[in-house]
Amino acid sequence: MSSREMILANIRKNTQTKYEKPDYRSIEEHAIRYPDLIGQFTEVMKQMGGQAVLLQEGDDLNALIRSLYPEAKRIASTVAEVDTAFGKQTVDCGAFHPDTVAAPGDLDGTDLAIVQGRLGVCENGAVWIEQEVEQRAVYFIAEALVILLDRKALKNNMHEAYPLIETGKYGFGVFISGPSKTADIEQALVMGAHGARSVTVVLV
Amino acid sequence: MSTKHSEAAERFQKNKSLAAWHDETLWMVRAKRDKISRQLPEWEELRQMAHDIKMYSNSHLDELLTEFERNATANGAVVHWAKDAEEYCRIVHGILNDHGVHHFIKSKSMLAEECGLNDYLEEKGIEVVESDLGERILQLMHKKPSHIVLPAIHIKKEEIGELFVREMGTEPGNNDQTYLTHAARKNLRHKFIEAEAAMTGANFAVASTGECVVCTNEGNADMGTSQPKLQITAFGLEKIVPDREALGVFTRLLARSGTGQPITTYTSHYRKPRPGGELHIIIVDNGRSEILADRDHVQTLNCLRCGACMNTCPVYRRSGGYSYTYFIPGPIGINLGMLKAPEVYYDNVSACSLCHSCQNVCPAKVDLADQIYNWRQRLQQYGVASKSKKFMSDGMKQLMEHPALFNAALGVAPLANHLPRFMMYNGLNDWGKEHDMPRFAQESFNEMWKKNKIQK
Repeated sequence: MSSREMILANIRKNTQTKYEKPDYRSIEEHAIRYPDLIGQFTEVMKQMGGQAVLLQEGDDLNALIRSLYPEAKRIASTVAEVDTAFGKQTVDCGAFHPDTVAAPGDLDGTDLAIVQGRLGVCENGAVWIEQEVEQRAVYFIAEALVILLDRKALKNNMHEAYPLIETGKYGFGVFISGPSKTADIEQALVMGAHGARSVTVVLV
Repeated sequence: MSTKHSEAAERFQKNKSLAAWHDETLWMVRAKRDKISRQLPEWEELRQMAHDIKMYSNSHLDELLTEFERNATANGAVVHWAKDAEEYCRIVHGILNDHGVHHFIKSKSMLAEECGLNDYLEEKGIEVVESDLGERILQLMHKKPSHIVLPAIHIKKEEIGELFVREMGTEPGNNDQTYLTHAARKNLRHKFIEAEAAMTGANFAVASTGECVVCTNEGNADMGTSQPKLQITAFGLEKIVPDREALGVFTRLLARSGTGQPITTYTSHYRKPRPGGELHIIIVDNGRSEILADRDHVQTLNCLRCGACMNTCPVYRRSGGYSYTYFIPGPIGINLGMLKAPEVYYDNVSACSLCHSCQNVCPAKVDLADQIYNWRQRLQQYGVASKSKKFMSDGMKQLMEHPALFNAALGVAPLANHLPRFMMYNGLNDWGKEHDMPRFAQESFNEMWKKNKIQK
């Protein structure tokens, strides 16, 4: 008998009482909601060590990104243009496309990556990123990350978010909430353990 | 009455400043958990839902695991089944060997600790690099984690500073946490890039999608799996959850309970292999399917490995992770050790004051303290019950069954308040070790009741 068969047979033999699957609707209905989604999201992003910036009418997105990260020289971007509340804007910032590198390790030394978020969660600052380029390293390896997110794509809580996410053709997606962090040395919080040291969500 | 735990706890307490820091720091994490959980009015309902989902999933493992296997295979992953630690290690090694892997980068996995994976692979000549900062520090020190979420909580920054001077060429005497963390970031970048394969555990495996979900704050799981194209993900079979709606419940609880954060920085969903790469998923039993048969202890399978029970435990905080003989310490570790081999790990069941705090903070409402109580009742059957405790409890039984004797004993008990210290705190009175004895009341409740001193 294969290990698979042995394990399954053992499970069937040893399982005692069978419990019903609970109805999720009660917790989904009682889960926290916020009267001001943008305000709450901005607040919780601070708590997670990142920041949220609301694009204002007349703002040039590229100039805004430049002002946020004036030191960034090597900039990767997965976004060519984006629909904002005030019309379409192109994203250039002199950025290169991450799939133009030969190997994912070549993305090391990227100062800033500009990527697209699909939805944001107001209870925890998590932004869903669906992989849309071959080199998924771009979401993690850059020193700083700018996530462009539709201001209308803010959800209250994870129950609202999960039915809306997809992992797409690459079969990968990630909720990112703020910069990479660790407290493994004497519980002192340090940003930039392995991933981005700084994360800004621009609500467009 | 001394156990391996109490002896090790005594050694831990000898370094008074470290012991005090350990206690206070973990209590601070517990306090953060309290604060953040109170921001959600539905918190208790959420815990109940997590419990109910786990009761469902762990009683339908055969259906959910085969559903997972079907979906993962359709996604292009290769699914392996390992009945025990040896088979799990053999499968990992087989995959690495087939691909000529010499550099292997891992993110934190308690399953790998449980199965002794690193030693197995290193004996076969494969360089294994832990990428979680705490785990990497311990690996370089040749030490084991003392906490499942905060693995290096028992190590001081000065020791890490000295270690990094040797291993990463940092400035001697610079023990600043930010400096040291960024030195490790730089050092491990190279390890990520040169690795030919990356491995992760899984916090959740989703039956309906065949995807594995990994939660980290550092981003190390994603740094690893986005460099080499060969990915191995292994999980204990109780990590299965039915669907993404269940993830909605668990991701809200995990980090809030463990570290007092609203969510981990990264919650990664691995569904398909990378283009031109391979994704191998190993489903591991290693004794878990046997736990299903034990009605008193089956709920240990509901554990999310958040570490909240350790942070809150008054015994863990004051005795440290190394005082337990099983590799997972604290309340959940006491129970898992007993399920693994009671004759080996029975010392740990004494490391509990039955305060039930663990049970009250557990996000999946695992009945941790009730289970420890239950193990203590079973100690007799393993022939390992403490003789002095047995003597005392037999004595208590005599007292309780003879009211006149009981009242007489109570009447003279306050005399103990006036005994000189050496008579109370000596080698003979086990209750006086590491604790101060309570003062006996001058009057018993019975006497007060009779004299009408009790206000209804």
